[in-house]
Amino acid sequence: MIRGWLVAGVLVLVLSSIGFAKLGNIIFDDKIESLKKAGMPPAVFPHAKHEDIYKCEDCHPNIFKDKRGANDVTMHKNMNGEFCGAAECHNSPKAFPLYMCNKCHIK
Amino acid sequence: MKKCRSIKFLSRMIPLIIFTVFIGFAASKLISQALAAEPAKPAAKPTAKPAEAPPAKPAEPTKPAEKVSPVLDPKDPKSVLYLDTKGKLAGTGDPAKSGPASEAVKAGQGWHPAALAAQILPKDRYGLINWAKAAKDNIITPRHSLDPKEEEMPAMDMDVVIEAKSDFVSDVVYPHYIHTWWLKCEVCHPAIFLPAKGQNNMTMAGIAEGKWCGRCHGKIAFPLADCNRCHTQPKRAVKK
Repeated sequence: MIRGWLVAGVLVLVLSSIGFAKLGNIIFDDKIESLKKAGMPPAVFPHAKHEDIYKCEDCHPNIFKDKRGANDVTMHKNMNGEFCGAAECHNSPKAFPLYMCNKCHIK
Repeated sequence: MKKCRSIKFLSRMIPLIIFTVFIGFAASKLISQALAAEPAKPAAKPTAKPAEAPPAKPAEPTKPAEKVSPVLDPKDPKSVLYLDTKGKLAGTGDPAKSGPASEAVKAGQGWHPAALAAQILPKDRYGLINWAKAAKDNIITPRHSLDPKEEEMPAMDMDVVIEAKSDFVSDVVYPHYIHTWWLKCEVCHPAIFLPAKGQNNMTMAGIAEGKWCGRCHGKIAFPLADCNRCHTQPKRAVKK
């Protein structure tokens, strides 16, 4: 009897922790040769931080396709209003501007 | 018999588990909302260096909430040339956010808001006055020097292509003409830029910190927010 409740309790704790899980940091390093030429480390995107502020559909799938490797992100495209530099995001007063390199390209 | 018991046990536990998982999701959502709501403020803002170029969007409050100390040493690349009356870097374009633009404006001298609103001075994308356009359109014709005896040096037309180190970001075409319209050679050469091709190893991060172009752009000249204002020449063959 007690054993049954114990098992249930452990299962409940383990399963409900699924609700706390967030996506981890995403590192944009597929253009690593170009990044090395520019002397910059790859950009680190904190998905969890953005999950706190936005809903999924604010970015997916209009700005970023939600599949790893499906988005060809370059700094040039960011500067032109795609991806991170979207008009509501880092090319707007809502977030820090794109020339603050070290905020994303974390050494 | 044992099998019977475990089936009974499971059939009671499973709905209980499902119910509790549901509660778990709801609770975690509430918790993360509560966590996100409380510090809407500078939990994550790193210390702002005085030379950090101000974000120039019209509606944005300047993020470095701390006062910038008014260092006015011309040799120090981090010196602040233009502070508003709240002690922050000026140039957000929105006087409601930054306060009066200077002590002079506060004292009653300065741009008359009606004159600005009358669109005499052209504005750029960020609502800041586009001085380059004002100069090119002859809207303003300032004297070349306060000293009446000094000879006027004509503007020099020479475009310098500054290549971006990355494969994708467009190259910068630096126009000497508009800069020499405003400035004498000694202002930049050789203190800020060595006057030889390839001798200045510039980085965007350094520019944002106040070196090279950032000595003026972000302080008295237009801020670095509009990337494509300088990065105008696309790379020819985009490598993958």
